Amino acid sequence: MRICYIAAMKYVYLDHAATTAVRPEVREAMAPYFDDRFGNPSSVHRWGRQAKNALEQARERVAAALGAKRREIVFTGGGTEADNIAVLGRWRALCDSGSASPICCSAIEHKAVLSAAKQCTREGGELIILGVDELGRVQTVAIDEAIRARPAIISVMWANNEVGTIQPIADIAARCQAAGVSFHTDAVQAFGKLRVRVDDVPCDLLSVSAHKVGGPKGTGALFIRGGVDVSALTHGGGQEREVRPGTENVACAVGFAIAAELAAAEQEHEAKRLAGLRDRLQQSLVENIPDLTVNAAGAERLPNILNVSIGGADQEALLIGLDLEGVAASGASACQSGAVTPSHVLAAMGRVRPGDATVRFSLGHTTTAEDIAVAMQAVPAVVRRIRAEVAA
Amino acid sequence: MSKVLLAMSGGVDSSVAAALLVEQGHSVVGVTMKTFCYSETNSTGKTCCGLDGIMDARRVAETLGIPHYVFDMEEAFTAAVIDDFVSEYAAGRTPNPCVRCNSNTKIPDLLHKGRMLGCDVIATGHYARTHTDGSGTHILRGSDRAKDQTYFLWGVPAEVIPHLHFPVGELTKPEVRAYARRLELATADKPESQEICFVPSGDYAEFLGKRLGDDHAGLQPGAVLSTSGEVVGEHGGYARYTVGQRRGLGGGRGTPLYVLGVRPATNEVVVGTAAELYRDDVVLGDLNWLHDAPRVGDQLAVQVRHRAQAVPARVTDVAYDTVTLKLDRTQRAVTPGQSGALFVGDELIGGGRIR
Repeated sequence: MRICYIAAMKYVYLDHAATTAVRPEVREAMAPYFDDRFGNPSSVHRWGRQAKNALEQARERVAAALGAKRREIVFTGGGTEADNIAVLGRWRALCDSGSASPICCSAIEHKAVLSAAKQCTREGGELIILGVDELGRVQTVAIDEAIRARPAIISVMWANNEVGTIQPIADIAARCQAAGVSFHTDAVQAFGKLRVRVDDVPCDLLSVSAHKVGGPKGTGALFIRGGVDVSALTHGGGQEREVRPGTENVACAVGFAIAAELAAAEQEHEAKRLAGLRDRLQQSLVENIPDLTVNAAGAERLPNILNVSIGGADQEALLIGLDLEGVAASGASACQSGAVTPSHVLAAMGRVRPGDATVRFSLGHTTTAEDIAVAMQAVPAVVRRIRAEVAA
Repeated sequence: MSKVLLAMSGGVDSSVAAALLVEQGHSVVGVTMKTFCYSETNSTGKTCCGLDGIMDARRVAETLGIPHYVFDMEEAFTAAVIDDFVSEYAAGRTPNPCVRCNSNTKIPDLLHKGRMLGCDVIATGHYARTHTDGSGTHILRGSDRAKDQTYFLWGVPAEVIPHLHFPVGELTKPEVRAYARRLELATADKPESQEICFVPSGDYAEFLGKRLGDDHAGLQPGAVLSTSGEVVGEHGGYARYTVGQRRGLGGGRGTPLYVLGVRPATNEVVVGTAAELYRDDVVLGDLNWLHDAPRVGDQLAVQVRHRAQAVPARVTDVAYDTVTLKLDRTQRAVTPGQSGALFVGDELIGGGRIR
């Protein structure tokens, strides 16, 4: 009986901004590197040479997907590490010679950037936080003002992971370039959803992650434009141009290369498809749930993210209730114990209202129209039940 | 089959409760309540509901194939339990935070959240039973008298009772452990929780110092008095003392001395002999009745601490917010602030805080 019940339930994954399933092509490409092609790229023998070749080919393909040169790509252990090397490593490289310069980032950065920037403050740098408007946009006047404080580096994410707001990244990068200030952008969410190319945008540093685009977890890359110097955060055998030492994760680099290539090739079509599905879900929720606000609705947004605040609902019950109905979504961010904490992004946008619950639906490669139809049914029902009890 | 929200502390009792509910065909949702900020304490594994408890509960839920979630109850728990714990000690009484937690946080909040999730039944791993008849649902003592936990439930709001379910209430502790081992649950041989969850070290005076400030009057030295008012020694602050306590009074005297009372206004601790600790009257305040309030002349039984025998008693006075009882035989160390749970036979009828 129990099995029938479970089988009848349709589970819908709408949390692709958290992570995605590894694509079959990716897994297939990785498999040989766990088997006979297991070599260490630093070794002289045939196993080593084979691994080195695969690694450099992977680097070439990731570089091509981003419009970069092969030598400008450093493989990392994920987006967080790429952000840390970019922010802290670049800041330290620029501060080595003299006194600590300020560091600047937006208020809605991922914790990887915010925490790295906070580390700079512990090492004597002043932190300049760029505020955002109610739609989550960094204002260019704020960039100009920050530049006047002569920070070592400015970091602004390409697109936000929670609400999806896209920043005027080409404009911001150009202003930094003109002023001679280093610029980093966290493109972890933007890559695969937007056209993300470093030949379009004059950034010095750019972070991407594999598992957000159908690649394996624990792998990412940092683009470091030729001539830009960063200090390593870890020390070892000199791999990855000494920026990220340690035996390279060849299988994951190979997997990432395939995922990145597919993501770049499919980006335009996929963005249109996901935006269509997202808009359908958005319209349905707006029509069927009173007192629902779409966050960042008026801004240029990632095509796959829908973030809504629902008045008179309970945050925990909303996410758990959706999960029990088979819909996987997320709230702000989950801490170690799994409890839900309030969003620093919505706070920066001035969008935190007591009694609101916030939920992010994020679509991805595997999302279908049927998935959206299930969510359109489930979400209003869950909200109605919660509201009835909250009001009781 | 109804959908059941089960409170899982990560201990063996609630783990077995989960297994039993699954076996009975219920759709079970497991939750662990995060009640305070774990980084403030070093978990020793001696308490329930800590971070390790969350991990253990999650493992058991995974084994049984039921969903498990964490409810963040920190704000409510701090207000209802920790603040009360601190203010009671500051007032010279000895609080019972586990009762407060069950009555004011755990069970009512679970029902509230459960209803949001479509669960109309709340289950816990308490050793207690329920019985429903024409007059409603009643809470009865657990079958294992050595483990019975009804004492902790006297403060549960009456309207919640029809929704309660105690899956292990008919079992004994050894049966629960055997069942857990048979199912190879991760928590089968976990030790009993002993300490107060937010004071895992057991050093509550240090905890009070942190919350009240070390300069609080209750933590300053004061006089130890005999029952005749004679100063017989010095103590380290009235908040460190509880009625019946022998330790920490300085030693070397012929007859052992015990704390008989604490006077916060003057920071005095009154001591006397073991014989002077016995009383045959109890006044309860902060009352809660699960069904009807008792009347003057009613015969019932009062239990004044967990794992104490309930003593037969007669109701001698019922006022707006207090009830006075005359005990059939004297009780040792009836401690202000502790709970007095009232029973008629096996049935818990309510209770109050000892005045």
